[in-house]
Amino acid sequence: MNTKIKKIFKHNEIYLFLIIIVFSLIITSINPAFLTLENLFDLTKSSAGMGILAIGFFIVLLSGGIDVSFTAIAIAGQYISANVLMASGVDNIFLAFLISCSVGVFLGAVNGIFISIFKLSTLIVTLGTLSAFHGALLAFVGTKAINTAELPDCFKVFGHKNIFMLSRADGTSYGLSVYVLILIGVVIFSWLILKYTMLGRGIYAIGGNRESALRSGFNIVGIQFFIYCYVGFLAGIMGVMHISLLRYSNPMYIVGTELSVIAAVVLGGARITGGTGSILGTLLGVVMISILEKNLVLMGLSSYWHQFFVGLIIIVGVSITSYQNKRRSIESLTFR
Amino acid sequence: MLGKYAKTIVLFIIMVGVFAVMVIFLQDKFLTVTNFQSISSQIPEFGLLALAMMLAMMTGGIDLSVVSITNLTGVVAAIILTKFAGPQMGEGQIILIIILAILAAVAASLVCGFINGFLIVYVGVPPILATLGTMGLFLGIAVVITEGHGVTGFPDKFLYIGSGTIGVIPIPLIIFIICTLIVALALNKTSLGLSIQMLGSNPVAARFAGINNNSVLVKTYLMTGLLAGISSIIMISRVNSMRPGYGYAYLLTAILVIVLGGVNPSGGFGTVSGVVMGVIILQLLQSGFNILAFSPFFKKFIWGFMLLLVMVINFIIAGYQQRSGKLKTRA
Repeated sequence: MNTKIKKIFKHNEIYLFLIIIVFSLIITSINPAFLTLENLFDLTKSSAGMGILAIGFFIVLLSGGIDVSFTAIAIAGQYISANVLMASGVDNIFLAFLISCSVGVFLGAVNGIFISIFKLSTLIVTLGTLSAFHGALLAFVGTKAINTAELPDCFKVFGHKNIFMLSRADGTSYGLSVYVLILIGVVIFSWLILKYTMLGRGIYAIGGNRESALRSGFNIVGIQFFIYCYVGFLAGIMGVMHISLLRYSNPMYIVGTELSVIAAVVLGGARITGGTGSILGTLLGVVMISILEKNLVLMGLSSYWHQFFVGLIIIVGVSITSYQNKRRSIESLTFR
Repeated sequence: MLGKYAKTIVLFIIMVGVFAVMVIFLQDKFLTVTNFQSISSQIPEFGLLALAMMLAMMTGGIDLSVVSITNLTGVVAAIILTKFAGPQMGEGQIILIIILAILAAVAASLVCGFINGFLIVYVGVPPILATLGTMGLFLGIAVVITEGHGVTGFPDKFLYIGSGTIGVIPIPLIIFIICTLIVALALNKTSLGLSIQMLGSNPVAARFAGINNNSVLVKTYLMTGLLAGISSIIMISRVNSMRPGYGYAYLLTAILVIVLGGVNPSGGFGTVSGVVMGVIILQLLQSGFNILAFSPFFKKFIWGFMLLLVMVINFIIAGYQQRSGKLKTRA
């Protein structure tokens, strides 16, 4: 029993979970409305999109790479699918998802080509594609925002869909959004890939030691290509969720929020050097960041502090895991 | 082919070529005094950022926080300039305040650089993530100090730095040239510079060769911070204001020019002359695009596309050189 508890405490996730609990209690003491079912449902709905992006980024991080272009892919998928739907008059949410995800996979494939075939540095490639994709979207597709009135109904309906409803005291109702289902689906699918397929093994292997993975026979090019296409696919999903949530689309949105997603993932314990981390940790990180972002004002800090805290969290989160890694490599006399 | 000067010569040819294309296609609009003035006013502040990024990249790392450092140090200097310098003060006092502001900016930039160096060296955070975090942190501090607003209204004597000239040469350009010479000298003639190159090329070998990796890295990031701080002083004196969030477009283009200028993102290789030529090429292109009235979005697309293109070309050239036995790359 003692060793089992000790084993649990070895994982970073438990500390994050405790921090979230403590944090939630502090916020609830200031604002009792926080720990209500309705607020929690609302929180889930609005952070599901970030959760999906975080899972994508997490998988890239596992493979030892970095991808900062996912926000541009998400907004590109969103804006293009909305415009196509508006132009063609078709009002089908599945078509929207299809278009957005196709755009996402296509753009992700562009990343994949540069990274896996040309073997270029992942950060610089994705910095370049972030600029190129977003610039191309704004220059070639357009900059006009889509307001609620023009938005096809399928988005609005989708945004409101709930799994089940509960009623408040005054008779109105609220519910748990289907976004949760999508998030759970993505989580399960990603988890299955990572845990039970050779592809998943390959991802961990590349992240752990690329040279060893190569010599073990893993198809590095194929695996990396898949990873970046998958990130694009997830970004496409998030794009449609985002537009349905806001009932509004502005091609300048989403881009600029990369740091929050990255903060969530590193908070969850994923190491930049790749090879370790868990989806659970990533999700906990997303929860923490979401709660932080939405309740900063409650704690008496204006929204100006947001940027500061995100940066601080990234630094603290990464410092802890990096320092542990450093100590471990010193003790084992390996040179990173 | 032509030995180690091959890349530099190719760059020079490209630079002249771009200039020629601009002149041919945009004749009267390009060859104007105002155009050259605007080019030469942008080169210093941007070039210093490129040099800063170059130093970090030569050690095999990267510094994504350079623009945030300029934001923060600019805010620090701006606050001192506006809070302490009143119109009723004597000239001597104003100059004192200006010197104080500049010193404060330099100190702030060194602190920022040290934080970067500390995280990377002593905590062991990889440069990408460390500077990603400090990018947000430093900008966050700047935003909190100014509450998102801009700070304007600097004393005239200070603005002299940004818009004054010595002879026909603008002061910012002189500062830039001096810094370039110092960095080039440091990289090629001092032991620190050589250590940087060796460390970037192969950190483990450098360590075993007796180089104190930790101290070299910290000094590198200190220099990066310092250059960013100098850039911010030029920046704010040129536009007579400081608003947090300014200059982030420079980040991608800084990486673009140094990759264009021959710096290897994995570290170890790179020349100051290459970077300077890269800066000039970029500014020429930038000015050409402005004359052609390209939208800022299209420019964004082009910079991203160019970065990818340059990387691919470098990859192909390296492959070609490797096959012909000229380039000895590490595994």
